[in-house]
Amino acid sequence: MFSALIYSFLFLSAHVFSIHAQEFFQEQLTLRPHRDGTVLGHFAFTTLLKSATPREPETIRIEDTSQHYTLFPLALGQVLREYAITELHLSLNAGKWSYDRWGYPEEDGVGTGAELWAWMAEGPGASVDERWRGLRSNLAGLFCASLGSMDEQRTTSPSLTFLPEGDLPGPSTPYQLRHGTLPSENVCTENLTPFLKLLPCKSLSGIASLLNPHRLFDADWHGMGIHVRYVENAGVEVRLTFQGVFDPVRYSTDGKRDWSLHSIFDRTIQKTCPVARHSKIRLISTTDAVDVSPAPNTFNAAFSVYDVNTVSKPLDISMQWSNESHFEYPLSLDSPPPTHISVRRTLKGTEQSRGQLAIVIENHQDKQIKASYLETMPWLLQFHLNSIQVKWNSAPRDDLMSIVSYIPPVPHSRPTLLQSVLTLPPNGTMDLTIDVTKPFLRYTEHPPDAQRGWDLPPAVFRPLIIANDSNLRRLPRIYTPILLVDLATPDFSMPYNVIIMSCTLIALIFGSVFNLLTRKFVLTKIPNEPPQ
Amino acid sequence: MSNTLGMYRTVKRLGIPDSNIILMLADDTACNPRNKFPGCVYSNAARNLDLYGDNIEVDYRGYEVTVENFIRVLTGRVDPSVPRSKRLLTDDRSNIFVYMTGHGGNEFLKFQDNEEISAFDIADAFEQMWQKRRYNEILFMIDTCQANGMYSKFYSPNILATGSSEVGQNSYSYENDNDIGVAVIDSFTHHILQFMEGIDKTSQKTMQDLFDVFDPVKIHSTPGVRSDLFHRPLSQTLVTDFFGGVSQAEVFLPLIDTKTSMPPNGLDSKQPRAQDDPQDDAVDDDSGVFPSIRGSYDADLLALSSGKISLSSQDGMPARGARAWTSIALVGALVVWVGIRTRAKR
Repeated sequence: MFSALIYSFLFLSAHVFSIHAQEFFQEQLTLRPHRDGTVLGHFAFTTLLKSATPREPETIRIEDTSQHYTLFPLALGQVLREYAITELHLSLNAGKWSYDRWGYPEEDGVGTGAELWAWMAEGPGASVDERWRGLRSNLAGLFCASLGSMDEQRTTSPSLTFLPEGDLPGPSTPYQLRHGTLPSENVCTENLTPFLKLLPCKSLSGIASLLNPHRLFDADWHGMGIHVRYVENAGVEVRLTFQGVFDPVRYSTDGKRDWSLHSIFDRTIQKTCPVARHSKIRLISTTDAVDVSPAPNTFNAAFSVYDVNTVSKPLDISMQWSNESHFEYPLSLDSPPPTHISVRRTLKGTEQSRGQLAIVIENHQDKQIKASYLETMPWLLQFHLNSIQVKWNSAPRDDLMSIVSYIPPVPHSRPTLLQSVLTLPPNGTMDLTIDVTKPFLRYTEHPPDAQRGWDLPPAVFRPLIIANDSNLRRLPRIYTPILLVDLATPDFSMPYNVIIMSCTLIALIFGSVFNLLTRKFVLTKIPNEPPQ
Repeated sequence: MSNTLGMYRTVKRLGIPDSNIILMLADDTACNPRNKFPGCVYSNAARNLDLYGDNIEVDYRGYEVTVENFIRVLTGRVDPSVPRSKRLLTDDRSNIFVYMTGHGGNEFLKFQDNEEISAFDIADAFEQMWQKRRYNEILFMIDTCQANGMYSKFYSPNILATGSSEVGQNSYSYENDNDIGVAVIDSFTHHILQFMEGIDKTSQKTMQDLFDVFDPVKIHSTPGVRSDLFHRPLSQTLVTDFFGGVSQAEVFLPLIDTKTSMPPNGLDSKQPRAQDDPQDDAVDDDSGVFPSIRGSYDADLLALSSGKISLSSQDGMPARGARAWTSIALVGALVVWVGIRTRAKR
């Protein structure tokens, strides 16, 4: 009787909430073979909380409405509601994304290490910085990452490059961006574990069952991401992504680049995730002659699609280059290059006090491109803006760079923010150099492995407008590899040496002076010994 | 590193959830590019047990593993923004197991090769915890060179301590993995884990049984045990008191019996406990002959624990209450550099 009551109550409440907020979950895996024999695997798990809106910061001081989700990750939902986050992007990556070999990634955020950025509405309840601090430490706890150390010394607001990907509700509400990077953060199983726990089917069924940590973290490049955005007329959308560049040639015994899901992930798809509305695997077509098995459900020139919900299990997609006995690495890069621009950034100079940051940007297009250029440099490296030199094909052209905003660093507390727009004429190379100073750090500011140096965050480029092109596509951001700077490192035993040395000196001086002061010197006459 | 992960695996296997474990790892061994086996840390050179596994949560890692953070976790003096997973949320009914390993010396243990924690720091932190009622009992275990010096300064009650080697002695690793080029696990920890592998949640093995397996010849050092602060006899302290999250089945006399036979103070101490679980009411209308059983537990556990518990219900609650409601937290600690595992120096 009692249990019957409980069941009816549960049923009723579930029914009520399903009216309140509909939730849709879909999953997709994109597989893209590259010319160098690698395969990009991109997992995207999207949960849409229909007709939900982000919490307004005005209500942050009053009790929040209770949250009941069936598919939407509650642990993440609580953080979003607690700090009234409108849009959130967290990425944890390891390795160096090679744009020249692999082209644009499926997800923009490929900067090495951790990157977190969030758009928050301003409100009277709690300041944006307080909420940012809370968000950081809560995500750090949720994802087992050291995001708590992404403090004010690493937080900027680069609103030119990091535009919101969704909509910001309220036409008159002011919004603020907070962005932080931790380039030395590493990614491992402990980050993937909480990630999988946010999925409705965990890693037990559906596409997520391919997420095998032992293979994912063996990839040439891998990264995970959490993206939350609000889409008007749709709701709040959470997208959990995992990208990896896998190298089947390395795994194969006969040096061929044939691959299958089993050879890459060491697993196949056995079951479907029953709550997934769509569960698809997209296989990007290549120009080579390849055998693909099993036959896809739908097929077009760009890609073939497998519907995991209907296809027979176990599903093990494989791709074989049957007329190729041995894979040979391409000697040249793609032409034309797969990205609009390519960027190299280096730190020159061997001194521990000065250096030069050099950036080489190539425009591969026949058209003029504008690109935003962003540096969010910790105060460990300080720019001399007056020394900026811009050369186009080796000829000085200072007019090609316009600085939009510059916030100078404050040592020990605030990073530099340099936002600028570069104009890149067709087909050519821009050389940009800035002189930099390396400051001295306090004794206690050095990390435990101080001799290793400091990782500097990547510079971010974003091609803005393509001239003579009627449809202005949103182009992905381009991250440079991170840099390592060698700062003047003290001899950490020095204080102890000084203490020991000065103590010794004091003891010596004090001892002898004390001795001189307290000892009485008297003349004594030694009587002559009488001769025996 | 595999020392700490071995302990982590053991306590997790014995039923302590990740939320009650605080794991501190100073190194990213598993996913470091120099690791030939990505995402894996093996417990021995034969590589048949991957300690890192598919399901691990590391609470403090990398530069976050500092002496300051460690003391803050113990004493609970953390910043308000620190998330729950990074806090030691214990009270005076919690048993805590603290395991530390790394490079140590006489009365100190190195963190990250640049700072160290001294025996006095830990002793004072434990005293602070005692005064704040943050623990019921502590098992402190340390595997370093000259480890026994670390617990020599404790002065707070209810602490049981054990270490791998005497002052002046080195602690040695168990074996080398020549493919990776490092020593994989330390002798002391290896032998404890060997013992723990034979234990499950229902085990009635006591701490005395654990300490009896210490063999200075096999371990190559002289392990020590300090039990003068501990109030219970070791032969009556179950290993699962510290290593396992054992949910106890409680068997108590039907209410009618209790009212008539138990003295009033016994009744008082029972009353609030009976109200903890609303399901009681549903079960209690059984006939008064059989003891009613709270909760749903597997039969083995029930059979084993019922005898013991009916015994202890006569002589008062504290020992049992502590056991039944203990959430055991592990502060696994530390690990210094992967490459340097041999303890031959110092």
